[in-house]
Amino acid sequence: MSDDCIRLENLQKRFGAQEVLRGVDLEIPFGKITVVIGRSGTGKSVLLKILMGLMRADGGRIVIGGTDITRLGDRELLKVRNRFGMVFQHAALFDSMTVFENVAFPLREHERLREPALKERVNAALASVGLVEHGHKDVHQLSGGMRKRAAVARALVRKPEFLLYDEPTTGLDPIMTAHVDDLIRNTQNATPGLTSLVISHDMEATLRIADKVAMLHEGRVIFEGTAADVRSTDHPVVRQFVEGRLEGPIQI
Amino acid sequence: MNPISALGAWMLAAVEEFGQYAVFTARALWGIVRPPYRLRNLFRQMEFVGNQSLSIVLITGAFTGMVFAVQTDFAFGRFGARGLIGSTVVLALTRELGPVLTSLMVNGRVGSAMAAEIGTMRVTEQIDALESMAIDPVQYLASPRIGASILMLPILCAAFDLVGAMGVSYVATQVLGVNPGPYYARMEWFVDPDDIWGGMLKSAVFGFIIASVGCYRGFTARGGAEGVGRATTRAVVASGVAILVVDYFITVILAPMSVNRA
Ligand SMILES: Nc1ncnc2c1ncn2[C@@H]1O[C@H](COP(=O)(O)OP(=O)(O)OP(=O)(O)O)[C@@H](O)[C@H]1O
Ligand SMILES: [Mg+2]
Repeated sequence: MSDDCIRLENLQKRFGAQEVLRGVDLEIPFGKITVVIGRSGTGKSVLLKILMGLMRADGGRIVIGGTDITRLGDRELLKVRNRFGMVFQHAALFDSMTVFENVAFPLREHERLREPALKERVNAALASVGLVEHGHKDVHQLSGGMRKRAAVARALVRKPEFLLYDEPTTGLDPIMTAHVDDLIRNTQNATPGLTSLVISHDMEATLRIADKVAMLHEGRVIFEGTAADVRSTDHPVVRQFVEGRLEGPIQI
Repeated sequence: MNPISALGAWMLAAVEEFGQYAVFTARALWGIVRPPYRLRNLFRQMEFVGNQSLSIVLITGAFTGMVFAVQTDFAFGRFGARGLIGSTVVLALTRELGPVLTSLMVNGRVGSAMAAEIGTMRVTEQIDALESMAIDPVQYLASPRIGASILMLPILCAAFDLVGAMGVSYVATQVLGVNPGPYYARMEWFVDPDDIWGGMLKSAVFGFIIASVGCYRGFTARGGAEGVGRATTRAVVASGVAILVVDYFITVILAPMSVNRA
């Protein structure tokens, strides 16, 4: 057991009779990109929400640097959250604000910046996702892909230690997908100590950006390894998922 | 399930729901007094609750005063007490109709908007997003709305009283031909500043009810557009009923104080 990671231990979550997480054990190493793959509805988004403290787990622990954050009170939890940035699956932009104001929002709330410095930070974040010219637009004027990118900019702008992406590229065109993958990779490379956790369906992208891959299946992590391990594994479930075949151990 | 245990289950659910509402409201009120203070949000809500409700409140007030003048004349004219029309209607306006009608009108506009807006933010995960940025969503969203409503409803109520009184006076002296001299003299004799203050106090309480119920329903909305619609309807209905029920109890509590002065 090492301390240079976020460690999920036996994490459990159920909704009524439905057991979503049945004991997830996973180490998310600091300073790397970990990608979690898994079928739709296996609880990947739920896992992220529990990690952010947006949902309470029914059992298990989340240990960051020796502290179990599932036991924290509200005030300490706020401090932990300040170290995280999250890109929601459906962007979750504030629809009462422009794109610029969305990205500026976390800065305005937490950092006392003068307007020029704030503008600079926001525009830098918008530039990294190719949205500088669209800052004045309202959220409902954006395409789905642009929303995703704006959400990435909003999560990046405070330079958090941990970045969680919930399917950042689902619904983007192939070129934009490659661009966002690059963005995740480049952000990672440009920020020493940054820890990224990406949830993805996109196997190609996963293998391109991941330092570590974990597969969630039926409420547990059934596979962990490097991208190379994924390519060479003969784990039947992982193989079927990676190759996208209909026949195999996963039945629909 | 037999009827008794069904009733029991229903009551338990109601008590639990009320408990959750109380906890939510306490959090929101605490959020008003503790930093960070987001005055911009407060002013924006004051503008929304106050300025934007003013025209409907003024129209409602004027016509309520006017119609009550006519109806009171119909009753009082039979025993020659028409000089009392003004004081009677203005008392009713300031003590009862002003706060209650203002609040019911504002509830339809503001309570529903709060539930819909916050409910939409809930089901589109914007509230989760706030939380993920280490912002207390109750303080950010509910506190300014509740604060603004507590501040603005009494002002709207005073505006209602004023145009209502003008409506009565106009109809009484100009349309019904009541002699203006005794009309205004009796008004001064009967209507006390305490009547006006009491009405404004009531409307502050109603403002609190409208905003806290609207925000609570928004925060607890679930499941897409339909869920938001349901939250909105429930907010307006619950606040409307609560306003009338609470009105009775405030009136009963305030009544002895105004009896003493006479
Ligand atoms: N708030 C909730 N209440 C009840 N059930 C929920 C809730 N959130 C998620 N679930 C259920 O938990 C399961 C996992 O949901 P989750 O959103 O985590 O899936 P996912 O792995 O992210 O899927 P996708 O890849 O399609 O986004 C689903 O069956 C879903 O119905
Ligand atoms: Mg998901």
